[in-house]
Amino acid sequence: MLPDRKGKFGIFGGRFAPETLIGPLEELEKEYKRISKTKEFKRELNYLLKEYAGRPTSLYFAKNFSEYLGFKVYLKREDLAFTGAHKINNTLGQVLLAKMMGKTRVIAETGAGQHGVATATASALLNMECVVYMGEIDVERQKLNVYRMKLLGAQIISVTSGSRTLKDAINEAMRDWITNFKTTHYVIGSVVGPHPYPMIVRDFQSIIGKETKKQIIKKEGRLPDYLVACVGGGSNSLGLFYPFYNNRDVKFIGIEAGGYGLETEKHASTLLKGEKGVLHGSFSYVLQDNYGQIKITHSISAGLDYPGVGPEHAFYKDTKRADYFAVNDEIALKGFHILSEIEGIIPALEPAHAIGWLVENKEKFRKDDIVVVCLSGRGDKDVMEVAKIEGEL
Amino acid sequence: MTKIEKKFKELEKKKEKALILYFTAGFPSFYESIEIIKKSVEKGADIIEIGVPFSDPIADGPIIQYTSSKALENGINTDECFKLAKILKNEINIPYLFMTYFNPVYRYGITRFVERCVECGVSGLIIPDLPFEESYEIRKILKERNMNLINFLTPFTSEKRMRKIIRNAKGFIYFISIAGVTGPRKDLEEDTLTILKKIKSMVKIPVAAGFGISNVNQINKIKKYVDGIIIGSFILQKIIDKKIEEIEELIVEFKKELKV
Repeated sequence: MLPDRKGKFGIFGGRFAPETLIGPLEELEKEYKRISKTKEFKRELNYLLKEYAGRPTSLYFAKNFSEYLGFKVYLKREDLAFTGAHKINNTLGQVLLAKMMGKTRVIAETGAGQHGVATATASALLNMECVVYMGEIDVERQKLNVYRMKLLGAQIISVTSGSRTLKDAINEAMRDWITNFKTTHYVIGSVVGPHPYPMIVRDFQSIIGKETKKQIIKKEGRLPDYLVACVGGGSNSLGLFYPFYNNRDVKFIGIEAGGYGLETEKHASTLLKGEKGVLHGSFSYVLQDNYGQIKITHSISAGLDYPGVGPEHAFYKDTKRADYFAVNDEIALKGFHILSEIEGIIPALEPAHAIGWLVENKEKFRKDDIVVVCLSGRGDKDVMEVAKIEGEL
Repeated sequence: MTKIEKKFKELEKKKEKALILYFTAGFPSFYESIEIIKKSVEKGADIIEIGVPFSDPIADGPIIQYTSSKALENGINTDECFKLAKILKNEINIPYLFMTYFNPVYRYGITRFVERCVECGVSGLIIPDLPFEESYEIRKILKERNMNLINFLTPFTSEKRMRKIIRNAKGFIYFISIAGVTGPRKDLEEDTLTILKKIKSMVKIPVAAGFGISNVNQINKIKKYVDGIIIGSFILQKIIDKKIEEIEELIVEFKKELKV
């Protein structure tokens, strides 16, 4: 099973980290392998996921949306998980792991604030000190989430270096970890970073796909034909895809953020437009210029606005296990509206990309196809932003 | 023997320790950075590290982040850095290395990057986010061209790993004296010297300590255990503050301290 001993998925992944972090990463790998197998850890995490986070989330047959599209669509309702997105699956796992490793402090990066809120939540529950790094621009854009994190007892550090967004928040969190690793665990929010992070985050998010598998068999008596999910760093999509990896008849479709269009410089479509390289500790596709400097991305959805992507997705792309496409901001907004109007579900702008893509590409599917879409988060966080864009506020 | 190895031999004979200085290429501007490097060599620097700026330098503190991003804003890129190195080739006669992150090297093409280094007189590479396990290919390419890849050790590197790295290390060992990113600190951590002593007993090649070094007091404490010290952020801050003349005095002062 991948990754291999060096943390590689084929040629991707690895551990491109400063020497100071090699020890802590080796320790994390060893401790994760040991602790995650213990009865105590499994029992505690299962309990929290069920009683605290509200799992399993439902696999909802979207009847109206299915009729609209002309084939069967199920929504994996991660928007119903506590704190409103799939992020909690990972943060409960990692904060619990950190606690059992004897750490007293956790740090996290956040873009829009979803992962920051989920980390702050798990830290409040498990009584850990929590510091969240957030780009100055995002702090300004996401005041409400900043306040939510403060309510939960987290300290927010506004990052003023570089582009002052998510990638710089990750840089700053890594620098904190390089300095404080003895007491501190770094809770990375996606399937990115140096080994073992892409594996750990994938494993904790795999609950999405494992539940889906059981649920769809119960409802349909067979596996789905397609799994569709949005891809930024790639944690909700990999969480859904991974448990189906060996079910070769189940096709994976990842949807990236096309921003203002792939022909412009303003998008976040790393797998489609990036080149191979190293960002934040792993070898993957990266949006970069000819000299290897990292590009500034754009997406209407902060959760997809990132110039890198998880190495396992890069591997899925090159081995053709998954297909990746992108839709522009406009199509994402279309998806946002359609699902709200016909299912009464306001999706987050991230999965709205997947919804929008399905709407635009419905003719590619057959009548008896079964499609599962990961509805990775609810849209409340985006309502204000969309209202502004559409001139309602 | 590479130029770096020769330099350390020569210093050993004179019973001196190496003063290694880091400058960001293109900061505050292309020509000013050349002038500052030339001046530093005149005043006694033994080896120069030329920082090839990267947009996301995770091992660096605020000072080098700032100088790197300013240099990039000024339009510096990898080709400009080679141009700068080529000018230095005719101007200074001490070894100089490139310090950068892996992505700019990979994107340029590893072999192409190294070949341009040879052309421009660059004696070695320091790549903080390229760990030993990932460096096989580049070490091989460098070896064929008589250049060194400088490996890092820290107080937290396990003994097993230390042995593996030391067995393959060339040029000198870059010892990171603190847990943290680059940037001046007032003092040294307690166990730093103990670990340095242990490393010195294990290696045959020179050891240079860097990260956090900013004063004569620290140099005085550490010099017995190393063959060189590396200073970056502290000097760059002087450039940011436009106190270039203070740099010259500091170099003279540091170098004096490094003569045994």
